[in-house]
Amino acid sequence: MPELAVGLIGAGGIARAHLPAWLELGARVTVFTHDDSGARLAAEHADGRVRVARTMEELLEGSEAVDVCTPTHTHREVALAALRAGRHVACEKPLALTPGDVEEMIGEADRAGVLLFPAHVVRYFPEYAAMADAVARGAVGRPAVLRFTRTGTYPVWSPWFADPTLSGGILVDQMIHDFDFARLLAGDVVRVHAHVRGHQEAPAPAGCVAAATAVLTHASGAISHVHGVWGLPDAQFRTTFRVAGRDGVLQHDSAQTKAFRVISQGGRADGEGIPATNLTESPFLTELREFASAVTGGPAPRVTARDGLEAVRIAVAAAESARTGVSVETGAPGAHPGGAPGPQARNESQEVAR
Amino acid sequence: MKVGVLSFAHVHAAGYARLLRDMPGVELLTSDPDAVAAPPGEVRGQAFAEQLGVDHVPTYQALFDWGPDAVIVASENSRHRALVELAAKHGVDVLCEKPLATTVEDGEAMVAACREAGVRLGVAYPVRFSPAYTALREAVRSGGTGRVLTVAGANNGGLPAGARAWFVDPELAGGGAMMDHTVHIADLLDELFAGARAVEVYAQSNNLMYEGEVEVDTAGLVTVRYDNGAVATIDCSWSHPDHHPTWGGLELQLVGEKATVEMDAFGQVVSGFDERNRSGVLLPWGTDLDGSMVRTFLYGAADGGVQVADGEAGLRSLRVALAGYESARQGRPVPLD
Repeated sequence: MPELAVGLIGAGGIARAHLPAWLELGARVTVFTHDDSGARLAAEHADGRVRVARTMEELLEGSEAVDVCTPTHTHREVALAALRAGRHVACEKPLALTPGDVEEMIGEADRAGVLLFPAHVVRYFPEYAAMADAVARGAVGRPAVLRFTRTGTYPVWSPWFADPTLSGGILVDQMIHDFDFARLLAGDVVRVHAHVRGHQEAPAPAGCVAAATAVLTHASGAISHVHGVWGLPDAQFRTTFRVAGRDGVLQHDSAQTKAFRVISQGGRADGEGIPATNLTESPFLTELREFASAVTGGPAPRVTARDGLEAVRIAVAAAESARTGVSVETGAPGAHPGGAPGPQARNESQEVAR
Repeated sequence: MKVGVLSFAHVHAAGYARLLRDMPGVELLTSDPDAVAAPPGEVRGQAFAEQLGVDHVPTYQALFDWGPDAVIVASENSRHRALVELAAKHGVDVLCEKPLATTVEDGEAMVAACREAGVRLGVAYPVRFSPAYTALREAVRSGGTGRVLTVAGANNGGLPAGARAWFVDPELAGGGAMMDHTVHIADLLDELFAGARAVEVYAQSNNLMYEGEVEVDTAGLVTVRYDNGAVATIDCSWSHPDHHPTWGGLELQLVGEKATVEMDAFGQVVSGFDERNRSGVLLPWGTDLDGSMVRTFLYGAADGGVQVADGEAGLRSLRVALAGYESARQGRPVPLD
């Protein structure tokens, strides 16, 4: 793959997950933030492989592709600026806070003739990719009833997550991963019902919890349950799924598939114990490799901007249902889902897909 | 103590009969007069009693003439009412298979008949007697979990029509998976929340798995909102493959403000593989839930122990399932009165 000039916008948690992947891929990375956090992130790479742009214009000037890793409420503005400059854009999920905003972004990408890629990293988790591939090959027959759960710690490290006007709340920020996956497996979603409980406003005090439950009805008649938890500080990152049809069932619980386990190590201080090790490639690396390949003449990524749009549509409908107490018709087309997922990735789950 | 089993229609009847047959101090008599109307291939009545090694009489009247202290009703769901009313008429305590009935009207009549006759009406919800549930209940009631936010539960099984065809008869069963499997977890939460009531139900269902094979719903998701603020979603689907080594299971996760806990009512198993039969092996070693339930019904609960669900509780969990059907028809949440 030719060396790609990537403009990384943002220096928070997700930028720190993407940056090692970009460096592994041999990209020339320029980072831009409105504060000095970008400079600090670049300074952590003393080999000078990460440059800092002083302005957005400077970043766009030196980049062929842009990676939007800013808080969700800024995605639209940042991505539109990059798209209008004719740059390919990888944008963290959710693409934006409303379907209208996403449609505007897609329109701009189409006008500019560039790729708008929603970074739905769960598509690149190997257990999810393996399951999706098998379902597409008919392993369970036609999916009839699906369940997904996702538990992590409450995202208290950055204040905007807890504010639903900035992040969309747990249904939009976290559960969009599973909404996207449910739609990938069982097709477009026509009706959503959801409830949210627990702490749902900024600031988020240490030890707070939020949980939500959503039921999706697909155009095919299939039904999906998605349960999301922003949990206590000691919550282990954990995801589960179960996909059932007439011809079989596929299930996964990340708590049951740890291939390397530390059974005891005494009362060691934080950071001094045996580290948790990734046993397979980072899903972010797999994801960004596919994006980089696509913008340098390779095949289209397995996840499209329209997938990102439909995921936002479901998530926003879920949030509306939770707010109003009624079920919400999404207005999505009753079309059949997109094609089979791409080649399987091989990497280890990590606490990243919040 | 003299205990009768009325009808072998339900798949659980054999389990109750074996349990009572082997229970010290219990005399057992069974009756399954509707056996003649059973579909071909289903072993019922005298023949089934002989297989089980238990005594059988040809009429319910003969069983009541024997003077039972208690009876267990294991007929088809819509035929519970007649047998419970018969037990009430004879002044006999009655433990009724779940769901209590297929309509609120029948359920209310059964509760009223037993109240007026002064007999106890229990509803067979054995998962209440799972030690995993007891531990969950203690975690919640001691304040260990804090306020309950959400519950995600799953009670899955295979399509039960293989052993007894009436399970997929809309009239006799009162529905499909949603009627059969919503009520267990609805009952656990009714018991757990002690006084808090379900106030709203949203449900969606389908029959994608058995389209053209059966007429009832075979997959369902039921969301229940409680007046203590908690919300639960129950997967009640018959989505467990027919040839899977287990019948299914019942699991739930409860998210509280101070702790998240989970229970797996049938998780206590040794697993392995049988090379000669080329099939998986699962050896359950946990508590016999039916045994605990039946003993509690006959002899009472231990101090502070879980009680058998009474008729009112059975009626409440039935209302949740029926509201689920109404919600699925309307496509929106429906209130519970």
